[in-house]
Amino acid sequence: MPRLDWRLAVKAFAGFLVGLAVWALLSPLYNRVIAAAAEKTLRLFERPPVTQLRPAADNYVTVDRSDFDPRSKRPAIPLHDLTFNVILLTALFAAARRPFSDRNIGGFLAAAAALALTHVLGTVVEVMSIYVAKLGMWSTIHYSSFDRNLWGVASHFYRLVLMYAIAFALWWVFRDSGAEPARKRRR
Amino acid sequence: MPMQRTQVLFLVKFFVILIAAYLLIAWNPVNDNVIVPFTAGVAKVSGALLQGIGQPVDVSGTVIRSARFGVNINNGCNGVEAMLILLASIVAFPASLKARAIGLVLGAVVVQFLNAVRIVTLYLLGAYQPRLFDMFHTAVWQILVILSAIAFFLIWSARVAPARLATRG
Repeated sequence: MPRLDWRLAVKAFAGFLVGLAVWALLSPLYNRVIAAAAEKTLRLFERPPVTQLRPAADNYVTVDRSDFDPRSKRPAIPLHDLTFNVILLTALFAAARRPFSDRNIGGFLAAAAALALTHVLGTVVEVMSIYVAKLGMWSTIHYSSFDRNLWGVASHFYRLVLMYAIAFALWWVFRDSGAEPARKRRR
Repeated sequence: MPMQRTQVLFLVKFFVILIAAYLLIAWNPVNDNVIVPFTAGVAKVSGALLQGIGQPVDVSGTVIRSARFGVNINNGCNGVEAMLILLASIVAFPASLKARAIGLVLGAVVVQFLNAVRIVTLYLLGAYQPRLFDMFHTAVWQILVILSAIAFFLIWSARVAPARLATRG
C-alpha cells in the first residue's frame, strides 16, 4: 500500500513556505501588473473605455470609472485574495522528486505564466461582479438580472473553488512526468 | 511531452464534475438545507474542541464567539471547497465504485479533521494574536486544507490507479 512519502511532504511544505514568502513579498508589485493588465482587458470591451484600476493600500485595487460621479465612493478589491493560489502551485511543484531539475523548473514557470493569465481574468470577473450588482441603482440600470447571475456566480465560483482547481490542473499539465508524487508505484 | 488521452480526459471530467457539484451546492435549497446545517455542525465540533482546551466559547448556528473574539464560518471556511476538489478528482479518476466510495469517505474525514484544526487555530489567533489572523485566514490555512485534499487524492490514486494513469508515459 502506498503511504505518505515524508520526504515529498517535507518538500511540499518547504515549497509552501517559499511560495507564501514570495507571494507576501511580491504582492504589491505583482498586483500592479495584474491590475494594469485587467484594466486593459476591461477597456478592450468598453465603448468608450472608462474603467481605471488604481492600486491602493494593503494590496487593494480601487475600481474607478471616468463616468462615475466624482463624489461617489469607489469600491475596492483585495487583489491578494485572488492570487494566493500561486502558493499551492509552488508547493505542488516543490513536491517533485527532483524539484530543481530543468524540466520541473520549466514546468513551474510555464504553469506560473498561465496562472498569471487566470489572475487577470479573475480580476476582470471581480470587477464585473461589482459593476453588475454592487453599485445600487447604477447597476440596476446598466445590467440585466442575467448579467448579475452570470458574473455573480463566476466570481463566487472562482473564489470558492476554481482558483485552487486551476492551480491543481496547471500542475497536472506541466508537472515533470518523472518527478510527481503520484509516480510512486507498487511493484 | 504531450499528455496522454487519459490524462486529458481526467482533466475534462474533473472540471465538468467540479462545475456540476458547485452549481448544486450553490443552489439555494441545497445551500439552505444541506450546506448551512453542515456548516453549523462544523461550528459545533470546533466549538467543542475549543471548550475542550479551556476556551469559554458559545456556538450559535455558524458563529463561535466569546467575549474576546468571534468567528462566523461561511462557505470557503467549512471545508466544502476542499471536499469539492476531492470529489471531482476522485470521481474523474478511473477506479472501482468501492474504491471511490472509500476514497471519498476517508478523504472527507481527513479534510474535515484538518478544517476543524484550522477553525480552532484561527479562533486562537484572532483572540490572542490578531495581527496574524488575516494572513492565516486568507492564505495559510486555505492552502493547507486544499493541499491536504490534493495529497490525499494523490496517495489514493497511486493505490487504486492502473500504473499508466499515475504517470505520463
